Amino acid sequence: MSPILAISGLSKQFGGVTALAGVDLTIEEGEILGVVGPNGSGKTTLFNVVTGVHKPSGGTVLFRRRDITGLAPHAISRTGIGYTFQQAMAFAGLGVLENVQIASEHARATGGANPWPTPQALLDFVGLSALAGEKAGVLPFGSLRLLGLALALATRPSLLLLDEPAAGLNDRETTALVGLVRQLPGHGITVCVIDHDMKLMQMLCRRLAVLDFGSKIADGPTEAVLADPKVLDVYLGGEL
Amino acid sequence: MNDSRRAGLKPLRSLLPVLVILALIAAVPLFSPSNRFLSLAISAGINVIALYGLSVLFGQTGILSMGHAALVGIGAYAAAILARDFGVGFWLALPAAAIASAVFAMIVGIPSLRVGGHHFVIMTFAFGQLLAIVLTNGGDYTGAATGLDVTDHVTLFGADMTDLTRYYLMVVAFVTVAAVASWAIIHSSYGRTLRAIRENEKLAASLGINVGRHKIGAFVVSGVFAGISGVLLAYFLGHISPSQFSSFPSIYLALMVMIGGARLIEGPLAGGILVAFLPEVLNLDPVQSRIVYGVCLIAVIMLLPDGLIGGIVRALRGLFSGKPKSERDAAEARQ
Ligand SMILES: Nc1ncnc2c1ncn2[C@@H]1O[C@H](COP(=O)(O)OP(=O)(O)OP(=O)(O)O)[C@@H](O)[C@H]1O
Ligand SMILES: [Mg+2]
Repeated sequence: MSPILAISGLSKQFGGVTALAGVDLTIEEGEILGVVGPNGSGKTTLFNVVTGVHKPSGGTVLFRRRDITGLAPHAISRTGIGYTFQQAMAFAGLGVLENVQIASEHARATGGANPWPTPQALLDFVGLSALAGEKAGVLPFGSLRLLGLALALATRPSLLLLDEPAAGLNDRETTALVGLVRQLPGHGITVCVIDHDMKLMQMLCRRLAVLDFGSKIADGPTEAVLADPKVLDVYLGGEL
Repeated sequence: MNDSRRAGLKPLRSLLPVLVILALIAAVPLFSPSNRFLSLAISAGINVIALYGLSVLFGQTGILSMGHAALVGIGAYAAAILARDFGVGFWLALPAAAIASAVFAMIVGIPSLRVGGHHFVIMTFAFGQLLAIVLTNGGDYTGAATGLDVTDHVTLFGADMTDLTRYYLMVVAFVTVAAVASWAIIHSSYGRTLRAIRENEKLAASLGINVGRHKIGAFVVSGVFAGISGVLLAYFLGHISPSQFSSFPSIYLALMVMIGGARLIEGPLAGGILVAFLPEVLNLDPVQSRIVYGVCLIAVIMLLPDGLIGGIVRALRGLFSGKPKSERDAAEARQ
């Protein structure tokens, strides 16, 4: 089976800074892939270039064999790649339910036999239905992250990119999030998640890719990658 | 089931106050107002139509046009030229002028809205100045600085509408259509899309919304309102000239929509009426009234971010809800 996403030679320069230096990475259909690396190693940039937020300086991105390199963000979203931002965000001045309605109304047609969950059902799924009538701007941080997840899910993605979805969440919220993300492959959604929390990554991902200074230095089964001397070296025993 | 029906009726309830106010306004001729009053009211109403378009652009999409009078001018000149060269009357001029203003909005919008940022305010301002220059140097075709006459009468079902009271009632009808149209936009999924762009362009794009195209679209929609307002103006005044559509009138339109409040359906109505009648009520000369408007605008921006109507609504809600004020403010500050 061909990978759902195939990234090859992807690079990104910001002025003199090389944020990505020719990364090759594939994401297999139905997996939960983890991407880790120290601060500034290029994880968010990798997502930004895949989703069209930034134009790549070189390389290609194939989504289900289709070349989507350099497309506009809205066009990439409509091919079936959903994502959440490292800075949790929502339409602050609008209602929580209205937020999800907007995302649903712009979702691509999936043509599947099962209808996609309604905005209300998506709020139920992330556990926010009690707050449906509130303005998104008054949500506590953890709920805002969950709303971001509901928004991304409402676009009917077949690939979901999550950038530090657990950052700022308390233990209870993190456990809930793990429960949610684990269900996604069962609904036909492949996941790629960035996080610094190795315990979380071990719970979620069977495969990890490690970035350092914009290059991929390891890629493989989670336990093997976490035991890799190159990886341990990068973290200097600090975070692991 | 019952709940969803109630939810469906809720937007209708927000339209009701405006319809009641407009019905009262339509009854004004019963009290035999002076011609001066009617003229002022007609001018205000014609502005309000453009303001409803501006409220879609500014209130919903969060984009401010500083050259909106120019789009009104396109509509007015289109009506005058169509009448003069093609014998096209008022009713056919309406759709034609609406299209003309929409096309100009697209021409200005495509280069300035695609790129994003603050270019748009400057581009629309420049467009207003440029149009005045082009019209002034257009020779006989645009009537140069003196402008053009529109001598045709408006007839409706055989009745001549030139009489002030009749024209007044017709303008009130147009204002009603504009208000309903803008209300329908606000409560449609299209309106939600525009608000999403206003709130967060980056997030909107991540959800599949073509931000650039929708911003241009909102400007084009506001152009339709402006074009219709221009036709009504040309036929009301019987004479139009470039200075009516330059930057000052544009700033006035922006001011009216800000003072009234761009997000609520009552806002454009309140802003248009207030700015038209304030100098009359306070007996101000033009220079004084400009100073008063300037002060009003600063006060509104600093104290009432949702405009006068938004401020009143908030004050009323504060009176009737039990929440202490500080808690509400804290909640609003976070938005
Ligand atoms: N928009 C930008 N303009 C300029 N430089 C940028 C931009 N975005 C990222 N960079 C730079 O690119 C490098 C990689 O940043 P990136 O945000 O991808 O790291 P990251 O791995 O996500 O880090 P973190 O774990 O802190 O989120 C950094 O040196 C950063 O300063
Ligand atoms: Mg990052």
